Amino acid sequence: MPDEEIAEEGIISPTKPTVQDPLLRELLAEDETRAAAETPQEKPLPLPKPSEIVDCIVIGLGAGGAPLLSRLAQAGLKVVALEAGPWHNPEKDFATDEKAQDFLFWNDERLAAGADPLAMGKNNSGTGVGGSTLHYTAYTPRPLPDDLHIKRDFGQGEDWPLTYDDLAPYYEEVEQFIGVSGPSPYPWGPSRAKGYPLAALPLNSAAQLMVRGAEKLGIKTSPAPNAALSARYYQEGVGWREACTNRGFCQAGCSNGAKSSMDVTFIPLAVKYGADIRPNSYVTEIERNAKGEVAAVVYTQNGETHRLACKNLFLCAGSVETPRLLLLNELALTSGQVGRNLMAHPGLQVWGTFPEEVRPTKGIPGSLISQDTHRPKNADFAGGYLLQSIGVMPVTFSGQVARGRKLWGQPLRDYMRQFNHIAGINILGDCLPHADNYLELSDEKDGRQVAKPRLHFTAQENEQRMNVHAEKIMRDIWAAAGATDIWAFQRYAHVIGTARMGLSGDDAVVDRNGRAFDVPNLYICDNSVFPSALSVNPALTIMALSLRTADKFLENNK
Amino acid sequence: MTSQELLASAHVSAATRAALEQRLADTGAAYEPQLLAPETYRLLEAVAARLFPQPERPMPIPLAPAIDQRLAEGRADGWRYDALPPDREAYRLGLGGIQEIAHSLFQADFEALAPNQQDAVIEALAGPTPPGKTWETLNAGRFFEELLAELTETYYAHPWAQDEIGYTGYADLPAWTKIGLNEKEPREA
Repeated sequence: MPDEEIAEEGIISPTKPTVQDPLLRELLAEDETRAAAETPQEKPLPLPKPSEIVDCIVIGLGAGGAPLLSRLAQAGLKVVALEAGPWHNPEKDFATDEKAQDFLFWNDERLAAGADPLAMGKNNSGTGVGGSTLHYTAYTPRPLPDDLHIKRDFGQGEDWPLTYDDLAPYYEEVEQFIGVSGPSPYPWGPSRAKGYPLAALPLNSAAQLMVRGAEKLGIKTSPAPNAALSARYYQEGVGWREACTNRGFCQAGCSNGAKSSMDVTFIPLAVKYGADIRPNSYVTEIERNAKGEVAAVVYTQNGETHRLACKNLFLCAGSVETPRLLLLNELALTSGQVGRNLMAHPGLQVWGTFPEEVRPTKGIPGSLISQDTHRPKNADFAGGYLLQSIGVMPVTFSGQVARGRKLWGQPLRDYMRQFNHIAGINILGDCLPHADNYLELSDEKDGRQVAKPRLHFTAQENEQRMNVHAEKIMRDIWAAAGATDIWAFQRYAHVIGTARMGLSGDDAVVDRNGRAFDVPNLYICDNSVFPSALSVNPALTIMALSLRTADKFLENNK
Repeated sequence: MTSQELLASAHVSAATRAALEQRLADTGAAYEPQLLAPETYRLLEAVAARLFPQPERPMPIPLAPAIDQRLAEGRADGWRYDALPPDREAYRLGLGGIQEIAHSLFQADFEALAPNQQDAVIEALAGPTPPGKTWETLNAGRFFEELLAELTETYYAHPWAQDEIGYTGYADLPAWTKIGLNEKEPREA
């Protein structure tokens, strides 16, 4: 280093000549003040951060990131969570208005390709401290044990490298902690050590109609398990949470904390044990050391770029942002499976008009369930589905009427006038992976100058056959319940499988404990690791996997 | 109760009231298009008026401003059909294509046509093979679906449209206790 530079750096405070004349001193001081006011001062450079290495960084604070964050913090580790979206105050900020709540969705554009393009945005994404659980319906049935073994039973799809028994203790822990309301005993699946901690929520109109129709057809139904409180509930780290007020706006954000989203459950628990939550933090780069391990994460927060070093990284950004980050950073790609095996649940809906008043926004949207169609006897497809009564908000419904029925002009206004007499049922069905269904980076850049993801999805023969089977059953139930003007809306929900878990790094991205096969200090936990779609909503399983991923990490890093 | 009565009541939260009152305040305010050229914007207004005819209202619920404003601000709703170009381009091309259909069917601008002729243009757009060069490259089915869905969601987010369908769900304080078939609270009457 040249000597003169050292000399310059060595000068800390050059001495100033002292001005003796008081008048001159006053004038000089005035000049200085004026100059300061007139010319904008150069901003002081940000102080260099103290060199900080945290034990774990968690990217994404939805159902995948929040439970493991709390577990790692409880174990005494120094953990930092980076969440792309803001931290809301639902009681004050959340309106009972769909348009006003648009900020809950990941609104950066994604490209939907294939014969059955996947609607994203409000259908399939989330952002904010709490992730997609801020707007999930909170429908939380457990999968049935054979859900995890579709290949064993049908010779198609992929088996989980885990069994139901591996997950059962975690299902129980999550249900008890976040406060799931549901029937005990639960009518389908193996008997359980513990029932749900709270009684089921009351049945709303759509549920009552589905009970009526299903009874006539000999289909068994039950009040559904929902992660929303049917009574006040005490929770560690939060205190008392209030009961559900039947707003029915779960998909636009719960304003009183009754719905068990991550921001009122695992996140406060994590904070209590010292987790550092950094909202509005968008990850731009994952750095590696010479050994190929993750060394640091670069992110922007409120316009400033930060770099945070870590010993371990937990990537929990959901099944679009997780593979996108892996692809952008060329990380964990040796299996060739990142972005592949994209699955989406068939979520076919059937709507009907009833003579009775329904008022479909009131009550928990998924009030009723049937798993009688889990493995239908007369099926010509692999796997199966569940049946669910559904509530709906007016703007969402109107958009579906426009897209699904293509009504416009007076006929559209006439149909919508029946809104208070409309009720729906839908399915949530398994999906098989297929070579044509995958996520890739496109050449188009989004508002952050990052390549937009393109999602290819085409329903294959198995999904199509399942839809045909389900549409007939749902039309029959609605006709038996007294509906007229019955119509079906084709829809697919939840993106799954884009960084799948497996037994070998040849055909999977992470092992059964969520650890990347080719990056030893990288863990992934969200719906991207699902090897198969399961015939139930994914959130409960993501939370259970999240706790298990943390426990296995802690066991192996003692 | 109507939205006017409900918004003045204690059944509506402050955040909900703020959102709905802003929407009402914007209704009828003069709007200068920010992105679309004036003639393209007038065409969008004319198309919206046929997709949502509101003959009973002295002042219709405005629909075109929401689209122009969104395009100007570059806001997206999280996804786009890969079959369509970016939203601004899709709207410019698609509206031009509607004009093409009008010229092909009636040899006149869409705005100059009688209501039943305008409806015929929209029917052609929604049909399998709308006439015009635009539709050789722009997917007419997807464009029509996007246009219709955006206008529809804008319309039914408005308190007047919610009154029209008897929706009162935003008046949710303190709670809904009557949620079964044929059950309603006094404020839902």
